[in-house]
Amino acid sequence: MTTAQNRHDEVNEAVKRLVVLESRLSIPPSEVADDEPLNGNVLRVNSLGFLGMLVRLEDELDVTLPDDLFAGTVFTTVADLVGVVLRAVEVPR
Amino acid sequence: MSLPVTAWRSVLPHLGYDLPPDLTPTTTSGPVATGLPLELVRQSVSSKEWWDIPEPVAEQYRRYRPAPLWRARAFEAAIDAKVPVYVKYEGGNISGSHKVNTALAQAYYYKRAGIKEVVTGTGAGQWGTALAAACAAFGLSCVVFMVGGSLRDKPYRGSLMRLLGATVHASPSGLTEVGRGNAASANTLALAIGEAVEYAREGEGRAFCIGSGENYSILHQSVIGLEAAAQLDEIDARIDTVIGSVGAGSNFGGVALPFLARHRAGETAEQPTLLAVESTATPKLTRGVYAYDWTDATGTGPMEAMYSIGSSYAIPASHSAGLRFHGAAKLLSAMRHHGEIEATAVGQREALEAGRRFALSELVLPAPESGHALAAAAAVATGADAHHRSRHGVLVCVSGHGLLDLSAYDQLLAGQVQDLAADDRAVELATARLRPVGSDLPTGVR
Repeated sequence: MTTAQNRHDEVNEAVKRLVVLESRLSIPPSEVADDEPLNGNVLRVNSLGFLGMLVRLEDELDVTLPDDLFAGTVFTTVADLVGVVLRAVEVPR
Repeated sequence: MSLPVTAWRSVLPHLGYDLPPDLTPTTTSGPVATGLPLELVRQSVSSKEWWDIPEPVAEQYRRYRPAPLWRARAFEAAIDAKVPVYVKYEGGNISGSHKVNTALAQAYYYKRAGIKEVVTGTGAGQWGTALAAACAAFGLSCVVFMVGGSLRDKPYRGSLMRLLGATVHASPSGLTEVGRGNAASANTLALAIGEAVEYAREGEGRAFCIGSGENYSILHQSVIGLEAAAQLDEIDARIDTVIGSVGAGSNFGGVALPFLARHRAGETAEQPTLLAVESTATPKLTRGVYAYDWTDATGTGPMEAMYSIGSSYAIPASHSAGLRFHGAAKLLSAMRHHGEIEATAVGQREALEAGRRFALSELVLPAPESGHALAAAAAVATGADAHHRSRHGVLVCVSGHGLLDLSAYDQLLAGQVQDLAADDRAVELATARLRPVGSDLPTGVR
């Protein structure tokens, strides 16, 4: 397995663990599909909880998410969030 | 000039407990968006203690900081004080109040986050003026929804904001659904905020920016207390009581909490009394309940754990619009709940009278809001306050000037100022349905 794949898996797992926690669910994170809506019938991540979650993600993954994440970015699915975090991981800051 | 303070200090790592989480409605679904620059979120929740003041913000601070601190000997003589009274004055900037300390920081972070236009609601106009100034400093557009009645009563606030490049709308403005649909709550800050939120949501590159009370706002205001502590050390002054007025709590938190942090960090032997001074018209800390409540009457924001007299309580008009808020900041509320903050309430006549005495003696005209702090400081320094004693000296924050509040002082001179104590029954009704902090969650929120 490549380093990039490892990193993808690490981010994917951390994001899913946190969205499950934020939604106060007791399902295994691996059961969450990549295209699961962040705020839908299963996951219930609201804007406020989302912000705190981003900061926890930074702590867990030891990354700094970009400042311009704020402007005009809308997150619909788990994969959207994973993608943004991966870009933050890949781009040296 | 170099600043004595180069980093803000958070009190959060010194509390030893977590703040109760905010609650938000669970009824809506759909995409989520970040509503705040991430750095402000980090500053609100992190246990990091020291936060470097970004150089562009420090550069703006240097225009008016260090803010003056002096021993108010003439005021001491006027009130027959038994202990020294030290004043930290935050009115010496274009906005005329402490609010620009956080407005500059917030504007900087919004700009860095790619926002082009910042939108806010303001009551008496201090916050709107501070944000207008900050946006001018950082090249952001600024739109302010100001309570219509306040704009009519204080037209020069509007003039100043427009002079600073802001677009000012009297609320209700007719520009928003919430403004058109809430005639009953016309002329309230809650509606002005609701309008600002809606207006911000509907435009690309816009963001709603809230004023005082959030943890990050109180963090930015720590520059007041940190600077004051350094200035007191420089003149070998000893104080045991720190006093500030409380609307939501940012100037009080700013001046007082660094003193608690210093003590908890082992830098000082004594823990000073932190005395929050509120208006008798909005006595959340002295007569309110510690419960989950909305931050505004339209329910725009989350429910926060706060001392509150009820977001539905009809606060009467007063000369201290900056104190006309039903709740205290969640940080200060938690600290009050844990016995770390003392509180007292002052009527507006007593506050304006203290302001008049301060102007006469120190030749500085305080805002009516600051008059509340001065009245409490006088009571402590003279021994008239049976509950709060000082043996060594008090530090009081004069958070703003009163040069745009002369009509209030006119009314004082004419003997026309009425005290407006909150009505017990009305407070009881407004808080009856609030869920006390620590009890089960109300349905429909999480």
